[in-house]
Amino acid sequence: MIGATWTIWKKEMRCYLVSPLAYVFLAAFLFLSGLFFYLGVTLTGEASLRVLLANLAVTQLFVLPMLTMRHFAEERRQGTLELLFTAPVPLGAIVFGKWLSSVSLCGLMFLGTAVFPAILAYYGNPDWGIMATSYLGLLAVACGFCAAGLFASSLTDDQVAAGLLGIVILLPFWLVHQAEALVGDDWADSVKKFGVLVHLESFERGVLDSADVLYFVAFTFIFLFLTFRSLESRRWR
Amino acid sequence: MVEAISLSKSFGPTVALQDVSFTVGKGEIVGFLGPNGAGKTTTMRILTGYIPASGGEARIAGFDVFDQPMEVKRRVGYLPESPPLYPELSVGEYLKFVAELRGVRGRACSLRVGAVMEQIGLKGWEGRILGSLSKGYRQRVGLAQALLHDPPVLILDEPTSGLDPTQMVGIRALIRDLAADHTVILSTHVLSEVETLCPRAVVIGRGRMLAQGTLAELKAHAKRGSWTLIEVQGITARDLADADGVEQIEPIPTTLQSDGWTSYRVTSRIDVREALIKRVHAANGRVRAVEARMATLEEAFVDIVGEEGVTLGRRPDPPPADGVQA
Repeated sequence: MIGATWTIWKKEMRCYLVSPLAYVFLAAFLFLSGLFFYLGVTLTGEASLRVLLANLAVTQLFVLPMLTMRHFAEERRQGTLELLFTAPVPLGAIVFGKWLSSVSLCGLMFLGTAVFPAILAYYGNPDWGIMATSYLGLLAVACGFCAAGLFASSLTDDQVAAGLLGIVILLPFWLVHQAEALVGDDWADSVKKFGVLVHLESFERGVLDSADVLYFVAFTFIFLFLTFRSLESRRWR
Repeated sequence: MVEAISLSKSFGPTVALQDVSFTVGKGEIVGFLGPNGAGKTTTMRILTGYIPASGGEARIAGFDVFDQPMEVKRRVGYLPESPPLYPELSVGEYLKFVAELRGVRGRACSLRVGAVMEQIGLKGWEGRILGSLSKGYRQRVGLAQALLHDPPVLILDEPTSGLDPTQMVGIRALIRDLAADHTVILSTHVLSEVETLCPRAVVIGRGRMLAQGTLAELKAHAKRGSWTLIEVQGITARDLADADGVEQIEPIPTTLQSDGWTSYRVTSRIDVREALIKRVHAANGRVRAVEARMATLEEAFVDIVGEEGVTLGRRPDPPPADGVQA
């Protein structure tokens, strides 16, 4: 299982790094990061990444489904899914390996933003604890969103449809923060609990709240499980 | 080695396979024949564990395809209809990936990839990007991919479709070499392929088993049986039909020649060549060719499958097996 996951991960990373797609999104992501960093620092005057990180969470909602869209959609269209499914490899290893490769690529993207903390450290005195938990929060969002994107990719054999579907699946987790507009204030608080941003707040304050960590673990697990089931059930049809 | 027992498969209301049973012995190479859409690919996908059957059982090397899929997958090399390649990877990267996927790791992996590339004639192609390969080489890589874990059973789905004649000959030669120490199931709708590679064949059509047996047994299904070709001048068909043993006689229009010679197709149960020549001489006619023709696999196939839904590339007649010049 571990060997197979590692094999799938290596191949996916290889495919990412030789395709132009990854670089396009890396560039777009870093451009937006730079913009948010500049705005954050000039508007608040704080030596913190608070504005940058909050905005990156939303950026990920639109970028990550584009990174995961090819995983199963492309394999199915190319006929290579037949290769994976007839190899002596558990389905779980395939799903997990692919998810891990997307999360790793996100890790690389975040690494690209490391220049901003360096700038802050040179000119100011940032709180490194908050910085660390904020990055952990970003990674938690990446884990969850990649799983959801993977699920979208398992539903269709059209990459673009998979990408858009991924965004559609994730949008409610952002839009619930405007819940007051739709339901009364009494309900809004409970509905908001499903949103991603509420659970990021603790990370941004420099706290690792177990409830929030659990939220992201559950988010990831549920979507990986749905991916697994959707792939399994498609074979029966 | 491979056993299918009344396999059936439906996709929703569409029945793709119904009650298909056959066995393939160890070391055998068996042709899997059928018109397009007959259920060949579905059967192969069930055998390789890609899709589950709706009913029936399948066993490979004694392991049940549904209950012990891992054991089965370890023992089967599968080349799907279109080779499952990642266009962005190089030949070497791809084969290494597939070998690792099938559990060949570390040093054994590079050794095995090297050996298979040599065997398939891909030596020196490690660095080529799969997306840039010609169809023939894509097929070769597809075949190499199926061999990496040294499986005793090979399942090849139309391995020569879409190739040019030289490439076809190349791939066939490879398959013949592999057949020496593998059990092979080969699906195709090219009948000459079966005749050159497989001593035995299974015929399916519209998802049902139609026939199975050695090629000679299959040929016995041809309604016409064997026949005699005769090319004459100065004698009518009616006169020729008087020869002993002749059951039916008909002119072959396409070979009607302007030089006054006429060809006939003579059907009979016994060898009538000598009787025909005698009859021609008795009528003061002239004969310049008499030839016994065996029923071809193609004729048998058409009769087995039935006229409808048959889409076959016609094969030119083989050179006369047994010709008598008069």
